[in-house]
Amino acid sequence: MEKIFRDSKITEMIPYDLTGKVLFFPVRHHSPVCSYQLIRTIREYQPEIILIEGPENADGLIPVLTDENTKLPVAIYYYYKDLKKLVSEDGTDYKCYYPFLYSSPEYNALKQAGIMGIPAKFIDLPYCDILINTTGQKGLRKNTDKHSYADDSRLIYSKFYEKICENTNVRNFEEFWEKYFEIAGLYLTPENFVRQMHTYCIITRSETPPEDMLTDGTTSRESHMAKRITEAMKIYNKILVVTGGFHSKGLYDLINTKKIKSPKLHRISAKQHGCYPMAYSYESADALHGYASGMSYPAFYDSVINKLLEKNSPENVYNDLTFDLLVQTAKHTNKKDIPVSISDVTSAKSLMDGLSALRNSRQSGMYELYDAITSTFIKGEKTISSAQPLDILRKLATCKEVGYIGDKTHVPPLITDFEEQAKKLRLKITDVTRNNIELSIFQKPKDIEKSRFFHRMNFLDTGFAYMKNGRDFNNNTGKSLVREIWNYARTPETDSSLIDHTTDGFTIEEACTTVAVRRLRDSMRCETSAGIAVDCFLMGIPLTKSETELIDIILTNDGDFFSVGKGLRKFETLNSLQQLYKFSDNTSLEYIRKCFEKLIISLPSMVSVSSERAEEVISVLKTMYGIAGNILPEELSVFTETLDVMAQADIKEPSVYGAVSGLLYAINSSRRTDVENAMSGYLNGTTEIKKQGADFLKGLFSTARDIILSDDSFLKMTDTLITGMEYSDFMEILPSMRLAFSYFAPAEIQDTAKAVAGLHDVTAYNVMNRMIVDEDMFVFGSQFDADILEKLDIDL
Amino acid sequence: MEKNSIKPPVEVRYADELELLAKYDTGKRPENWKLSPKAVRTFILGGKVKTDDGNVEIPKKFYGNDALVERCIITLAGNRGLMLVGEPGTAKTMLSELLSAGCCGISTNTVQGTAGTTEDMIKYSWNYALLLAKGACREALVPSPLLVGMEKGIFTRFEEITRTPAEIQDSLISVMSDQILIIPELADDGIILAKSGFNIIGTANTRDKGVNEMSGALKRRFNFETVEPVKDVRLEKEIIVREAQNLAKAGNIDMPVDTDVAELLAVTYHELREGITEKGTLIDKPTAVMSTAEAVSVYYQTISHAWYYGDGKIDLGVMTESLLGAVCKENKDDLEKLKAYFRTVVKEKGKGNGLWKKYSETAKLLK
Repeated sequence: MEKIFRDSKITEMIPYDLTGKVLFFPVRHHSPVCSYQLIRTIREYQPEIILIEGPENADGLIPVLTDENTKLPVAIYYYYKDLKKLVSEDGTDYKCYYPFLYSSPEYNALKQAGIMGIPAKFIDLPYCDILINTTGQKGLRKNTDKHSYADDSRLIYSKFYEKICENTNVRNFEEFWEKYFEIAGLYLTPENFVRQMHTYCIITRSETPPEDMLTDGTTSRESHMAKRITEAMKIYNKILVVTGGFHSKGLYDLINTKKIKSPKLHRISAKQHGCYPMAYSYESADALHGYASGMSYPAFYDSVINKLLEKNSPENVYNDLTFDLLVQTAKHTNKKDIPVSISDVTSAKSLMDGLSALRNSRQSGMYELYDAITSTFIKGEKTISSAQPLDILRKLATCKEVGYIGDKTHVPPLITDFEEQAKKLRLKITDVTRNNIELSIFQKPKDIEKSRFFHRMNFLDTGFAYMKNGRDFNNNTGKSLVREIWNYARTPETDSSLIDHTTDGFTIEEACTTVAVRRLRDSMRCETSAGIAVDCFLMGIPLTKSETELIDIILTNDGDFFSVGKGLRKFETLNSLQQLYKFSDNTSLEYIRKCFEKLIISLPSMVSVSSERAEEVISVLKTMYGIAGNILPEELSVFTETLDVMAQADIKEPSVYGAVSGLLYAINSSRRTDVENAMSGYLNGTTEIKKQGADFLKGLFSTARDIILSDDSFLKMTDTLITGMEYSDFMEILPSMRLAFSYFAPAEIQDTAKAVAGLHDVTAYNVMNRMIVDEDMFVFGSQFDADILEKLDIDL
Repeated sequence: MEKNSIKPPVEVRYADELELLAKYDTGKRPENWKLSPKAVRTFILGGKVKTDDGNVEIPKKFYGNDALVERCIITLAGNRGLMLVGEPGTAKTMLSELLSAGCCGISTNTVQGTAGTTEDMIKYSWNYALLLAKGACREALVPSPLLVGMEKGIFTRFEEITRTPAEIQDSLISVMSDQILIIPELADDGIILAKSGFNIIGTANTRDKGVNEMSGALKRRFNFETVEPVKDVRLEKEIIVREAQNLAKAGNIDMPVDTDVAELLAVTYHELREGITEKGTLIDKPTAVMSTAEAVSVYYQTISHAWYYGDGKIDLGVMTESLLGAVCKENKDDLEKLKAYFRTVVKEKGKGNGLWKKYSETAKLLK
């Protein structure tokens, strides 16, 4: 490794002095070799305190992280609500994770401090102050899905690394790191290892412009950390400072030059910022899943540190673990019906050994294993499908496990409640594998509970579960389905979403209630309030008094016809749900009545609505008709009168008029003549009026399609409408005609077609078996006929 | 072997390098290998050799995937054969020649697979005059490259193995499993045991029509390596320049390689092969094979024309016509795709660069 770094002068800048007051130990986050050498250094140096890079407002969580019942990976979740707009004018919320794995040097430093009975502290700025000292789109304010505090991307993506990969004949930084640090570094003394780390980190730091460090918050953070180190120097004689390698030089210079201008800390109320411990997953900690600062294959590297600590020697640690992983990969590959023989495994093992010898590596690492599997397990051309063994290897080396917080003192009550309920309902939440579950909600009470739990988690936007199949009550689809199929998985995002709702309640039920009230207040629309009422029912949470009062207010104040119309439909759904589940609550009936009465008032004006919104009006009319005929029979007469008013209006949107006429016919079939007269009016009008006839039919069939089936008078009128039109006009009304007939069942369409064929003295057989004429040819023929007739007329 | 033949074998072409590497090779060598795996790596992927006179630079000969070369070397030191698969023109044959020359000092012990390859071409056949005169004896035996490889402990290269009928391919199975070839006609003398160092390097292309699928049993005897087209335009340009220089030298064309033109050709091939331009615009990929070897061929044709007809000046029109011939072979749609590439991408690039502008002006020749 020495040969790679030719500039040995750099290493003299930060001494490794076991008798010194401060010893800087540079790390890469989640690196087993850093952890291994750090533990050796702690034993050699015997510090009185260990200072660790990490936002200091999480100091209180250190015992939780090191608790013997805590199972890694876990993370500290930081959040900050920028209500005072100290970060930016947007005043948005910020959050980030600080993950800990068994291979994390920071975790091992905390653990060792616990064993030695010495204090350990985080020394970085609190999370909110890091953000305040960072310029937009830099550092922890970058626009990414996942923010990680432990970001060592500077170490990874420097220009220096590109040169180094080229010079050392490796494919990428990770291969370089494994070969020259993770494996070779195990055989170095802690002093030499630290020197190599400092050298690498100082070179990468020298390539970073100071202005970048200023804007991404590095300068402020280092000043604060240096301040904390200086403070510790007044109390302790042996201080071990564990930070990302990038910061070591900055901190060393600040301590020595004593020019520390620490940024001012802001007083932020506890409600606006905080941190919690949470279960994390290996998948989220994997660099291959977009976690830029993580290492690839985190579960594998966790097994490395565990094995190193168990054996207390680096000999064959990588050889043994990669061989284990090779055998596991072979086993899982065979399960996928891709044959892998013992001979393949033997060959792969010898290839791994040969490659590590060829590459001057003392042990076979992940990249030798990857190469061996590429050569020996993939039979034929390497493609996405044939490379399955490599996918299996990646999955095994990453692992789907989720950690566990042993000490629940600081765990948000919502997460505790989530875990308890999942346990009670026997849902698998110990790894991030997605599970499918089928629920017979009308047969098994336990399944209703599960369904409600999933609905609650959905309501809180946790991303924990989604319904793959089942009745969607809000959108009124899948009415015939009596089972629900859900897909669920616990991911770190689930936990972080629950933490975001910490202030909403102690239990998931409480949080849902709080969120429901908040959403009602924020929206103040009938449609939303009805949706929330349905959601509450599906979640098994009765509406509270404050919620019902709020809905009352919303219903009174909402003057939007369409919002009230949609709300009415949802309340109707709620009512049917209450009947279906034999629910005693009948608040929905009251809401339905209020909506109905409100709609009746503004209904007459809706007959002249613009054609773009006609569909929505028709939908409301149909809902109201259903309610008037069923739930509120006493309202039927008022509804009929209103429809009459609409039918007699001067200006009428044709499809709404059609729907109104259809409903009047449906209520009283003796009014068929009125409908026929209306249709005749369209037929006898100008071409433009005729075209509106199609829209009238569309509306009519949407509410009373049986009108065409009971008697052939409407069929004849429809036929007259179509046949009496020019080709271009027909093409114009075709979409409306198609929509009009979409309300019929297939058998009805067939019967209608037969009847139409009868009007023209043809049979279905004639139509189906005649020669197919190209559309252009037909147009040409028609025109040709017309021209001939014209000529004949002239001649005659 | 003559060094001035059209294409001298690798061991002749790089005899000096191989000699130097062998002389200063301190690494462990598998039995019968001429060089250690590390020296073979240096021979193929380039590097420095410490000699008595200082460091000597060995140039890189295979570009694109160093790890693949390392895997190939280690595979060949083991008990499995090496099968190089991939699209045509990805330098599979060149790699197998380099490996053979580096490890065994010889790259010409080769079986050329065709649809007409028979089992006796793979195993052994007879000199019938001698067979009739002396009966079945060693003298009358005509050893195949496979037999030669087994007896001498060197590699046998099996080119285009999938062009050979599957049942003929399978005659390799017993040899590769047991490292033994029985010649029943020779009775006790007919047991040929493979010497240490023997191995087989197969090549197979995955694109051409008329290839035969290998049996599972045979596949199990090989480690597979997929040789992919060069992904980096810079590397592709280097390859075009180097190979064109070699071809020009062999063809006595004393003309310097124009690296700008080579880059232009490399970009054209790269973009058409990947179906995406440097700026990320998606374009239609021709169905023809857009290999680097084809690009070298197009470039060589261009400089040949310049040398013999053009007073040493490269004519981009000739290059476009050569490109047309290389791309539009099997599918008539490829012409339209090439025209579209010139109409959009080349024209756009021509707005800012003199050479690309001249190149875009040659679009009218595409017909």
